[in-house]
Amino acid sequence: MKAKMDWLAGAMLMILATTAVAQDQGCILLKTVAEIEQVTTDERGEQSTQLVPVEKIVPGNEIVYTVSATNICDQAAEHVVIDNPVPEHMNYVANSAIGPGTEVTFSVDGGFNFGKPDALKVANADGGERKAEPAEYTNIRWVMRNPLKPGDVAFARFRAVLE
Amino acid sequence: MVRLKQFAQAALTSCVLAGSAHGAGTLAGTNILNRAQVSYTLAGVAESATSNATTLVVAEVLDLNVTLQSATVTVSAGDTNRTLLFRLTNTGNGSEAFPLAVDNLVAGDDFDPLGASTAVFFDTDASGDLSPADLAYSPGINDPALAPDTAVAVLLVNDIPAGLADGVIGRSRLLASAATGTGTPGTSFAGLGSSGTDAVVGANGGQASALGEYQVSEVNVTLTKSATVVGNSGTADPVPGARITYQIIVNVSGSAAASGLVFTDAIPAGTSFTAGSLQLNGVTLTDAADADGGEFQGGASPAVRVALGDLTQAAGAQTVVFTVTIN
Repeated sequence: MKAKMDWLAGAMLMILATTAVAQDQGCILLKTVAEIEQVTTDERGEQSTQLVPVEKIVPGNEIVYTVSATNICDQAAEHVVIDNPVPEHMNYVANSAIGPGTEVTFSVDGGFNFGKPDALKVANADGGERKAEPAEYTNIRWVMRNPLKPGDVAFARFRAVLE
Repeated sequence: MVRLKQFAQAALTSCVLAGSAHGAGTLAGTNILNRAQVSYTLAGVAESATSNATTLVVAEVLDLNVTLQSATVTVSAGDTNRTLLFRLTNTGNGSEAFPLAVDNLVAGDDFDPLGASTAVFFDTDASGDLSPADLAYSPGINDPALAPDTAVAVLLVNDIPAGLADGVIGRSRLLASAATGTGTPGTSFAGLGSSGTDAVVGANGGQASALGEYQVSEVNVTLTKSATVVGNSGTADPVPGARITYQIIVNVSGSAAASGLVFTDAIPAGTSFTAGSLQLNGVTLTDAADADGGEFQGGASPAVRVALGDLTQAAGAQTVVFTVTIN
């Protein structure tokens, strides 16, 4: 009898411990990679492009940033929103933000307000307003339309050019 | 006897050294950080997470340009220390030294300028020409070191060979290269960039050059003098009382102007100037020194003097006539 109860106590401790660990590291594992497009030409002269890791860049390089969000728990994550500030010294490349199952908006004020490109305004030199250029976007936001089910991965990607 | 004066032409340009912090791009050695965030709800509870950070390092691009700042420099054959002004700009994103070289054996021109004993100077006082304050360039000793987006003014100093024809052109090339390395664009020199980054050869191969040119412009003045004797009886005997009419044709040829040309001719000994006989191109000039540019100068060495002004080949022949009487 004592052994069985010890087993139960041990199991309960394990469950508690597991739950505690899960809450510490969250249910979404977020990773980001920086890559650059590389064009290769094969023996037949045909060109193909692929994304390769990059570490050293020069002004003018276009970098592809890919974010992945993995649900590592056994419950669905709802209202998933991925936010990415455009890195300093870089300019967002127009129309480059993509994410299956997401709605993409941008900010030009450091992440306080988000909107679609047509709605983003910046001040003119003469005091008026004009539509913001993509290079002026400061933040990108992907809002997932559906919950992220356990084990699923959501992707978000954008490109930026080094000034 | 004819005297004439000419003025040399000088091309002076101003040299502006500008510095814009961002023209050449993000400075080499800069770290580019990127990080994402996610927010979500789990069973109604708000949660968030942050991703790893990616760090990219900006490498140094080796890039420069050399531009000519002088228009074509007009010279005479045999001139010495004639300068061409250039501007060297570091268009890369890291501080870099740029060794300089000169090529006077440029193909396609009419003559080769001769490098002066010290052929390259920095235009230290920004005067646009060679002056005592300018610092001489010594290869390997003071190769210009420039921060990104800054420039330096460089003077090439050449002598012009003798015996050149009017209108010929001679060219001189200033070359500059990045000290860290040159070669095929994209070539990488690991760890040799400023701030310890890699250095990458830019689109121009890490070198640049520009051509300057000299053009010889000479002017030639020729005089053709003839004399006609008319005696009292209508004969051509040069006897006392007979009159001699001198005609001098002044011709200017070449591409330069003879500036401030003045024709002077002595009254021959044993003759006397006939008052009122001085003419330029058929128009009588008064004997007195006045606004018409012609005069008779009396005294111990009498002479006629006509100011012809600035003459070019296009002005055509100028004819001076005057008459004397044999004493």
